[in-house]
Amino acid sequence: MSISSVLFVDMTVSSVRASGSTFPALPAARRLLTALLYVNGVYGLAILGLLFASIVVPGPLFEALGVRPASGRGTLELGMRMIMVIGIASAPAAYVVLSRLRSIVDTVREGDPFVAANAARLQTIAWAYLGLELLHIAVGIVAASAGSAAQPLDLHWRFSFTPWVAVLLLFVLARVFDHGARMRADLEGTV
Amino acid sequence: MAILVKLDERLWERRMTLTELSERVGITLANLSILKTGKARAIRFSTLDAICRALECQPGDLLAHDPATESPLEE
Repeated sequence: MSISSVLFVDMTVSSVRASGSTFPALPAARRLLTALLYVNGVYGLAILGLLFASIVVPGPLFEALGVRPASGRGTLELGMRMIMVIGIASAPAAYVVLSRLRSIVDTVREGDPFVAANAARLQTIAWAYLGLELLHIAVGIVAASAGSAAQPLDLHWRFSFTPWVAVLLLFVLARVFDHGARMRADLEGTV
Repeated sequence: MAILVKLDERLWERRMTLTELSERVGITLANLSILKTGKARAIRFSTLDAICRALECQPGDLLAHDPATESPLEE
């Protein structure tokens, strides 16, 4: 799931709206985020179902997932279950990111985005995104450990610096927002 | 707020209404009302200059400090 893409799209949207022009992408962004929230819920439940099935009917499930009866099968199955658990854990983190982002979009639509609440929301998004990236690393470690030469667990996992830069950017942006909100509050009472 | 705005007194001395002052200084009635009721958090020098010119007074005639009143910085 490319949450970073959604974040960047929304930040572009926010800056356009803040400049005073109306932007039809805002309602679309809200609808998209609502849809993604539902997709995320379904995704979490689906992996939960998969994990449940891997406990109840492990044989047929892992065969369907391409696990062959060979040495190291037990480790591979354990690794796949761990990846399922990580996948389930990522759903609440993604929910935090998407729901806070939708709240930020709402404040932009209402014409008042530079508030302390949005700074707090950005900070929460940054922490959740950091959590998601750590889970992503965990998936890579599990995949590398659980696979063997005979049966590699290839998830096309790649390390990328871009999400980490996005995490840093989010923390910085949260601070900038907080400062901006304070300045605006001061300016509001200036005659 | 420990800073008191004595705009009412100066207006009364000049027999001027807030609306008239608003027209003379080019500041909205709403903003002048915020200033008059002591709800303003800050005042621009340009605003102070315009009001002093219109009311022919000094900034000290408009503002006073009451140490007994709680400062927002101490809240």
